[in-house]
Amino acid sequence: MENVAMKSPNVGEKKLNRLTKGKKIALSTVYYICGTLLAIIFLFPLVYMLATSTKSESSYAADAGSLMMFLPDFHNLKSAAENYGKVFTDYGIWRYALNSFVYAAIVIVLNVIVNGLAGYVMAKFDFPGKGFFSFVIMFLIIVPVETSIIPLYSIVKILLRLKGTMSVLAVILPSSISVFNIFLFMQFFESIPKEYEEAARIDGAGSLLIFFAIILPLSKPIVATVATFCFIGTWNDYLWPTMVLPYVEEGWPLYPIQSAVTSIQSIQGITTGEIMAALIVTSVPIFIVYVVAQKYIMQGFGTAGLKM
Amino acid sequence: MLGSTLAILGVLILIFAVIAVKDLVLAKIKHTRYNWKNCLASYGMILPAVVLAFIFVLLPIIYSLGYAFTDFYLLKPDNITFDEDFSNFTIIIRSIREKGDMYYAIRNTSIFVVGVVPLQIGMALGLALFVNRTKKGVGIFKVCYFAPVVISLTITSYLWLQILSPSEYGLLNSILKLFGQKPRDFMRDKKGAMIWIIVMSAWQGCGYQMLIFLSGLTNVRKELYEAAALDGANSWEQFLHVTCPGLRSTFLYILITVFVGACRVMVQPMLMTGYVSDTLTLSYYMYQQGYTNRWVGRSSAVALMMTIVIGAITLLQRRLLREKD
Repeated sequence: MENVAMKSPNVGEKKLNRLTKGKKIALSTVYYICGTLLAIIFLFPLVYMLATSTKSESSYAADAGSLMMFLPDFHNLKSAAENYGKVFTDYGIWRYALNSFVYAAIVIVLNVIVNGLAGYVMAKFDFPGKGFFSFVIMFLIIVPVETSIIPLYSIVKILLRLKGTMSVLAVILPSSISVFNIFLFMQFFESIPKEYEEAARIDGAGSLLIFFAIILPLSKPIVATVATFCFIGTWNDYLWPTMVLPYVEEGWPLYPIQSAVTSIQSIQGITTGEIMAALIVTSVPIFIVYVVAQKYIMQGFGTAGLKM
Repeated sequence: MLGSTLAILGVLILIFAVIAVKDLVLAKIKHTRYNWKNCLASYGMILPAVVLAFIFVLLPIIYSLGYAFTDFYLLKPDNITFDEDFSNFTIIIRSIREKGDMYYAIRNTSIFVVGVVPLQIGMALGLALFVNRTKKGVGIFKVCYFAPVVISLTITSYLWLQILSPSEYGLLNSILKLFGQKPRDFMRDKKGAMIWIIVMSAWQGCGYQMLIFLSGLTNVRKELYEAAALDGANSWEQFLHVTCPGLRSTFLYILITVFVGACRVMVQPMLMTGYVSDTLTLSYYMYQQGYTNRWVGRSSAVALMMTIVIGAITLLQRRLLREKD
């Protein structure tokens, strides 16, 4: 402050400076207080979930109504281990998590290849009847069709007769096609200069080879975006897998994790802490994906805006 | 079902063939030539997508239109007859008139849409404006507000079920107890249950739209704000005359996606209350009719009506917001 006073010759100006500075600090403080309050509104259920997952039923009841509800049970860390241990071993949540990972991995690979190839064809080739495909793509993107989950169910069960272990295909295949992803790939591939392809074609490479060896490696950002959204979609999907999959098939359960949580939380005699632990286990992988793939998710938002 | 599928496939191939022949004729007139090797390659590469899209995207849409006019019962798939009296639709209309499930489904879905669309979009816009500045720590706020989006609807529903637990140890009830209130069963409350579902859905979803608004805000040109400030506009006027027009297309996108998503609400009432008239929604009714009761025809009639209404409202929103460009 002293320094400023010495430098500024005009006393009036100094006063003005100080006032605005004081005002600025006050505004800043208000801003941070508001921000923190808002953050509490958005986070308290999650903090509550995490804290409760460490508690035995008795300390859950004892902490009710006090701020202790939002703090983990530090005195009795054994109960945390018990809750998570029970969720993993007795309720076997790791198997369902593994199922979800496998489904997601297959969906990602198929989604990128199937929609990527279609996008590549639509972006780079000319062939008789192309207009038909462009029309269908645009139609399916623009028209808001009420998700026809019941007709889809009848197709899967009656037309394709997917039963037992085969019904895994009913989870994977419908998620592997996305008209919107074809559109995304198409737009991205159009921006890749023709020279790359032509050079490879002169060397005698076929179209498939060009797609896998040149186009896909050049399109890492869009592939990562599509893969991220595929993972989130498959991991978080609950209704459709629950409809088409049998609960237990030949010893190994086929349910993905979201469907499993539904049956876990209705087990007789399950404690609140255990339910919360199961919810936490189900959410952690998706949190990790969001942190790791943040950049690609933001890119997804950027392209989402283009649609309209 | 196989027969009708083949018929649909035939019609689509016919349309495709007509367009392809037209292209070939045009090429001949213009004396251009297709590279046959490339054409074959492109047909081969697009084939997997075409097959999957036909079976899992197009067929369900076409069938949901067709089933609405049949008496399709899932357990008797070989015995589908065309329904001359449109009984699926008359049953729906009677259900609305006599205050049956359909009446409640329409009422609750409307309440949900009217409640959640302004709440969620308003919260998202407010948060986006709040974090749209270069200050220390804003990034942390953004992450906090976005965090609920990450968890799935299943997890959110069960988490809130615990928060709203009817036992005296539930989060909300234990706080109410401090004020001397008796424990309440929030999700069994006639009016309250839907409100809690609305609040929960807005809480869970608005972080997503916040990010979309933010990317829209960064596209508004900085010079416009400077020009407005030079003209003496205060921050409210700047918001009204610079931010709002700049956000028009973002807003339209968000309005349509949130609206369509809200019309489809189903998982939250399903997991939090079950099939009760206070929270039953249209999608849930559709699911109950088609999956649990196996009346695919009736369920498809509901889907058809929903598609028409949602499509009409979406078009209207587009018209209203797009005109002034």
